Amino acid sequence: MKPLLGTLYLLGILVPEGLGYDGSLAQPRREVVEETVNPWKSLDTYSYTKYHPMEEIYQWMIQISEKYTGVVTQHFLGMTYEIRPMYYLKISQPSNNPKKIIWMDCGIHAREWIAPAFCQWFVKEILQNYKDNPRIGRFLRNLDFYVLPVLNIDGYIYTWTTDRLWRKSRSSHNNGTCFGTDLNRNFNVAWCSIGASKDCHDLTFCGTGPASEPETKAVSSFVESKKESIVCFLTMHSYGQLILTPYGYTKNKSSNHEELIQVGQKAANALKKKHGTNFRVGSSADILYTTSGASRDWARDIGIPFSYTFELRDNGTYGFVLPAAQIQATCEETMEAVLSVLDDVYEKYWDSDGAGKVTPTAVVLGLLVSFMSVL
Amino acid sequence: MPPRGQPPPASGPGGPRPAVLLLAPLLLLALQGVAAAPAGAGGTEDSPGLQDAELQRGLLQQAARAALHFFNFRAGSPSALRVLAAVLEGRATVNPKKECQVDLVFTTDHYNREPFCLIPKSLFQDGEERLGKCSARVFFRNQKPRPAVNVTCTRLIEKNKRQQEDYLLYTHMKQLKTPLDVVSIPDSHGHIDPSLRPIWDLAFLGSSYVMWEKTTQFLHYYMAQISSVNQWKTNDDAVDFDYTVLLHEFSTQEIIPCRIHLVWYPGKPLKVKYHCQELQTPEEASGTEEGSAVAPTELNNF
Repeated sequence: MKPLLGTLYLLGILVPEGLGYDGSLAQPRREVVEETVNPWKSLDTYSYTKYHPMEEIYQWMIQISEKYTGVVTQHFLGMTYEIRPMYYLKISQPSNNPKKIIWMDCGIHAREWIAPAFCQWFVKEILQNYKDNPRIGRFLRNLDFYVLPVLNIDGYIYTWTTDRLWRKSRSSHNNGTCFGTDLNRNFNVAWCSIGASKDCHDLTFCGTGPASEPETKAVSSFVESKKESIVCFLTMHSYGQLILTPYGYTKNKSSNHEELIQVGQKAANALKKKHGTNFRVGSSADILYTTSGASRDWARDIGIPFSYTFELRDNGTYGFVLPAAQIQATCEETMEAVLSVLDDVYEKYWDSDGAGKVTPTAVVLGLLVSFMSVL
Repeated sequence: MPPRGQPPPASGPGGPRPAVLLLAPLLLLALQGVAAAPAGAGGTEDSPGLQDAELQRGLLQQAARAALHFFNFRAGSPSALRVLAAVLEGRATVNPKKECQVDLVFTTDHYNREPFCLIPKSLFQDGEERLGKCSARVFFRNQKPRPAVNVTCTRLIEKNKRQQEDYLLYTHMKQLKTPLDVVSIPDSHGHIDPSLRPIWDLAFLGSSYVMWEKTTQFLHYYMAQISSVNQWKTNDDAVDFDYTVLLHEFSTQEIIPCRIHLVWYPGKPLKVKYHCQELQTPEEASGTEEGSAVAPTELNNF
């Protein structure tokens, strides 16, 4: 498996260069100054308080799965538009009982660098603490974490090489006159009905059809295939200091809206305790703006109960270009918020001793049995 | 909890097997029933009151932003820039022409505070002490730029201290070696060299003028990055600063490059000219817009 991954990884680097997959025909391209990949760089010296280019994140994922072999595996999700591999990390403690899944993705918008930084921080925190910290340890008894550190890999690389404030993917449209789809307007939920643009020049371009982009397809087909097991879908963004619940495409509320707000508010309170940062909680249409095709709304509508968008620091002072000096504080407070959500999710489905509570599945099975007996 | 009637979802990639087809609606009803919040939730119609409250809140925020940009510009002081803390109270009225008048009171905080301040904000017992307070009337002309602003604020920094800080900034600026060897401020990692911090603050001051003019009921801006410093002169005692700034418009998520040319001397009104690269929209025409400061009126203190 590893040689294959290694080959795919190299392919991901070499192929776009070889095919001249530059894409930016209109503007002059800045010199590609990518840091040389040092395969012997140790995980011990990896800095979680710096922003890392994609090559280093690829390498970090391999090293993490090597260091924590019993608990972490790296998995292939799909290929990006510029033919780069998308990987997620699965954190799972082997056991006999069936697990529920927590999904977290970061970096669907390329310029929101603090988000991939948080995904890496989150993985590190779980792995460094699950043995000694009972709060985190109990999660792994019944939960698996699936973390996608960078969803929009092509865009992320583009922010490192060419345009720090790029947002979309790097797909080509209109005979190469426009680039990029807003991947968070591309999901198959009320697609392009509101709060998105059909013009490929715009930053909220919804794509050529629902899930038209390979990145969207990769995430949605995988999440769809696991939807019965996924209880929590977290998608990390910046900036704005918000915890957003469904929906963006309508002011109507999801059936569990009250609960989502309650859990979200508790998370915001936990976040504020850390460094005093204020986060607001509400539905996207209420406190942000209308959007259609957002991954969080799509996840909720395929049945995943706890679906949130996190908009991390700050409030506009630095915006997308959040100083690296703030990575630690931002990640620490966000970690508190996420752990708070996980506490609530865990306590909803399991007792403190890990025994299962009445779950939707259990109720359904009960109904099935009674239905079958009637036939 | 009685199950709620909801349409079943689209079938997954594999397609449901025949036996399960019968059970799918039942399954879904059960799932909805257990997962549902207290009665009343799920597909509720909007109460008109709630919608209005959200609309009000949004307009108050917009007005506060416009008022603050205008205030910062008129104060003309790069060491005394303010950011919005919170809207305390306000009322927005929309006339039949869709023009919008907003009266509001809001609090402000220092812009120049270090981001990783060692004193957590929660330790400030008496909130009013470190926050300034402003009252404003803002008039939005139905998505047209240049909202009319009338704003007065309590003093946040003592006048002498402010003049001192401005003059200190000014002397730092005069000491900068030209031509400035900068590509962008901050760099991609959000870092601003301390020696270049005065440039960022002055750029924000100039951008405040631009952001004030461009703010409407629906559009609001943040300064994302200085993408180039075209000219930096400090002869004739004033700072002559020509730069390109990238503004981030929140509702469209667009990045708007603006070329700004300002002339500043501590204590004197700021002179600004600018030209923004607009997206071509039917309502707007691209072109040079000019603005210059008028003689400042006395800022009333409460």
